[in-house]
This record gives sequence, C-alpha cells and structure tokens, in this order.
Amino acid sequence: MSIHSKIVPYLFLLPAVLLLLIFNLWPTAATLHQSLHAQSFISNKLVFVGLENFERILKDPIFWKSVQVTLIFSILVNPIQIVLALMLALLANQRVRGIALFRSIYLLPVAVSINVTTVVWGLMLDSDSGLINGILATLSLPKQPFLTAPSHALWSIILLATWKGVPLWALFFLAGLQGIPESVIEAAKIDGANRRQIFRHITLPLLRAVLLFVLVADTVANFLLIAPVYSLTQGGPQLSTNLIMFETYRRGFVYNDLSTAAAMLWVMLIFVLLVVLFQAFVLRRRD
Amino acid sequence: MSGVIHFIESLNLGGKRSAAETLLVYALHIVVAAVFILPLMWAIAASFSPNQEVFKYAYPFSWRALLPSNFTLAAYENLFARDFGVALSNTFVLGMIVVFVGGVVNSMAGFAFARFNFRGKRLLFVAIILITFLIPIDLTAIPRFILISELKWINTWPALIVPGLANSLVIFLFRQFFEEIPQDLIDAARVDGASWFSVFYRIVLPLSRPVLITAALLMFLSQWDSFFWPLLVAPHPALRVVQVEIAISIGEYQTLWNELLAGSMLAAIVPILLLLPFQRYYIQAITSSGLKD
Repeated sequence: MSIHSKIVPYLFLLPAVLLLLIFNLWPTAATLHQSLHAQSFISNKLVFVGLENFERILKDPIFWKSVQVTLIFSILVNPIQIVLALMLALLANQRVRGIALFRSIYLLPVAVSINVTTVVWGLMLDSDSGLINGILATLSLPKQPFLTAPSHALWSIILLATWKGVPLWALFFLAGLQGIPESVIEAAKIDGANRRQIFRHITLPLLRAVLLFVLVADTVANFLLIAPVYSLTQGGPQLSTNLIMFETYRRGFVYNDLSTAAAMLWVMLIFVLLVVLFQAFVLRRRD
Repeated sequence: MSGVIHFIESLNLGGKRSAAETLLVYALHIVVAAVFILPLMWAIAASFSPNQEVFKYAYPFSWRALLPSNFTLAAYENLFARDFGVALSNTFVLGMIVVFVGGVVNSMAGFAFARFNFRGKRLLFVAIILITFLIPIDLTAIPRFILISELKWINTWPALIVPGLANSLVIFLFRQFFEEIPQDLIDAARVDGASWFSVFYRIVLPLSRPVLITAALLMFLSQWDSFFWPLLVAPHPALRVVQVEIAISIGEYQTLWNELLAGSMLAAIVPILLLLPFQRYYIQAITSSGLKD
C-alpha cells in the first residue's frame, strides 16, 4: 500500500471518531471521574472521595432492591421476548396469501415510540376503567390493579415492553430464517428427517449468530428501559418497578446526587458487560 | 414454549400444507395481528372522541371502543392550538439533518473499518464502536450536558443535532454491508487511478442503496423517538420535539386523555408511513448483518 493510503482510513474515520470521542467517550470517562468525587456543600466544587460513592451504594438497601428488581425483570423479560420473537418470526415466515399485510401489522410496534406505547398501554392498563380491565369485566373476571399493586406493576411493564419489543427482534429472526437455503431443508427431508429434527438440527443451529445478536441487543435495550417506569409508576408501588436505570435517574436528576448516580452507572455497566460476556460464552460452548 | 415453537415450525416445511394446517396458520396470524393492532385502533378511536367518552366503551369493553362513536376533531384542534405543530416540524427537520449529515459521517467510518487495514484498527473498533454501543447514552448525559452548557448550546439546534450525528450502531451496519462488496470492483477502479474518496462516492455508495435506506430509517427513527436528551438541552417551547411534547402533556394534561392519545397518534404516524414502504430494505440489510458470524 502506498504512503498515501496509510492516511486515507484515518481521514474517513476522522469525523465520526472526533464526534464519538467528544460526545460519547469523554462523557463516559467524565462519569467515572464524577463517581470518584462528591459535591462540596460549601464551595460547590467536586472533592475527591475515592470509592466512597461506591461503598455508599453497596450499603444502600434501596440500591440493592433496585438490583433485585432489575435482575427479576431481566430474567423474565429477555427470555419471554426472545421466545415470542422467534415464534412470531416462524409465523411470519409462513408462505400464505396475505402474508405481506400481516407482516406490515407486525411492524407497527417497531415504528411506534416507547413514549407512545407508554401512553396507550398506560391508559389501557388503568386500574379503574382501562380497556384490559374492560375485557376482564366482559369475561366476568375481577378487576386487576395492573399499575397500582406491587404484585402486578412489574408484569405490566414487562407486558408493555414485550408488545413494543417482540416485533423488532422477530425481524432479525425472520431475516435469519429467510437466509436458510431451501436446499438444506429439502436435503434433510430426503434423508428422512422429520419436522422436529429439522428444527432442532438445522434451523436453530443456523440461527445461532442471529440469536447471539438478539440476546445481547435485547438485554442491553431492556437495561435502558426507563420511559414506562418514569411515566407510569415512578418506580413504585413499593419500589416494585424501581429498575436500576430509573433509580440512577432519580438519584442524579431528582435528588441532584450526580456522584452517586455516576457510581451506579458504573455498577450497571459492569453488570451489562458481564451479561453480554456470559451469553457469548454460553453460545460459543454450545458449538 | 419450545413445544409451541416446534408446532409453528412444523407448519412451515414444504409447499404441502393441508387445508387444516393453512387454516391454523391464518387463525394464529389473526390472533397475533389483533394483539398488535387493537391497542392502536382503540387509541385512534379514542383520539377522535370527546374526552368524556374515551373510556365509555373500554370499560366494560364493547366493540364500539374500536370506532369513534361521536366523531370529533376537538383533540387534534386543541393540540395544534397549543403548538403541537411546531414540535412536529422541529422533529421532522431535525431528523432530516441527522439523516444526511450523520449518513455521510457514519458511512465514511464504516468504509474505513470494512476496507482498510491500519494501525489501531482493532482498538478503535472495540473502543469506539463496542463501548459506545454498550454504554447507555442517557446515563452519560450529565457530563455531556455540562459540556453543552459550556459551549453555550443550551436551547439551540446544535445541541439537538451534533451529539447524535456519529452513531456506532449505524457505523457497524455500514461496515457489515461494505465488507460484502467484491474487492474486484474496488481494485478495478483503483487501477484506473480513482482516489479512495471517488471509489467510495462512485463505486461503493451507489451499490449500497439497501444499507443507506436502513441507516436513514434507523437514524430518523432514533431522532424521532429521542426524548431524554432533548428534554435536558432544549426545553424551550420553540425547540421542543415531539416526544418531549407528549411527555410534558402526560404531566400537564393528565386527564385530557383524548389529547394525549391524539398527540401519540400523530407521533406514531410519521415513522409508520416511513417504515411500512421500506420494510423490504430494512429486512434485507438486517439479513446481511445478522447472518454473518
């Protein structure tokens, strides 16, 4: 390669790298800086306090409660979304007349923002006169306090997030399914494989790369979920929906404790990385 | 669960599907489609209803909840009377700017990662792409907000545009697509003396329509859906974006259900009209990136 082309890739990268450095990487580092400091009451300056912020949150029962809620939420919402997304993709992959219309309908939640989903589902899940309770009443079932009881609220957030999330992840699975060559399946059938065997030994293994991507991306996306908690439950009732993302927001922006919020961010980030590494490890070992 | 997956999969194989199986496929489609479409139908109907009738047919439920029984545009008229139109046009203009400028910035970076070997490539890729992809952007908003205020950008358009231009997910998408372009095409142009920038502009980009459309969709939709950042840096009514307007309405007009739903439907219709016609490109580009190991 010529000397000229040694500079070229950096020129192509320059605008994006500069912007990411200034507006993404630097703020991340600055958040670490902030997490090691505390706001002084007297001078309003940052004072270095070492790991004090981390020690404080690790002793904080509200923080641990939010870790617990986030774990329960993740363990429930990610498998639910991924299994339903795979089912939806298999269904959308059926070659029947009118499939284009159905696929368009399944795309609607992808287009609708989480704020809009929150408004619509928030009103539908209203404990007094919401549409879902209306349907239950029609079926002679008792009213449910969907957003107002600690036993229900997290499930309502899961429901809302799943309605919005499943079609997006199904798109990835559908793309994966359509990438499987017809000939592979035909060959397996000639070899006498039944439908179950074909799914188990051909479809699933060929979806492995897509599955890994969806696992990681879905987990990260659900860690970031804040809009429905912010608008509908404010973490309640009784902290039952107090996801760590919302707790961090509340510390930082409601209580103006930016240092504790920054420390929580770093705990959360480590958590995300561990989950991602674990998932990658598990999928790799299955090979 | 896996039983259901097997069951659906078993309906799929080969062209030979019995009439009963076809019927079953349609039944499943209709049930699932209802789950996705009924909430939106109710929301649309309620947005065209007088406020006191929003819940009238929802509880107890009757099918009339899915059609406005007393059709009125009052909710929409009230929305536009309080500047919802400004929020809509702000968001639209912002989206277009981010799509065009961000498209240039991100496609260039994706090209560098896809077609060049250079010192520090791995490090840059891991550091910039993966880390910025994994770190929740909203949680690093505090220092970014301080930076923006030091630049005196609070309540200005640059605060809304510049921080979101470089998008690691979009760079990743471009990289995946550009890796598939045959080396021969690029070599031929290089032998003819074309510069790398003209190779990129004249050879690579014209071949990249699907990923360009997908990237544009992703960037426009993420701009359209952005909420937290605009709320922090541009709360001024003249600069308000659509998601902020909706969220503020939840607090300010919490019992004006029909207006909340009308605003939500206006916020939903633009992405729907964009995504539906281009869904083929969206899925095609996902295939190219999702199936690669």
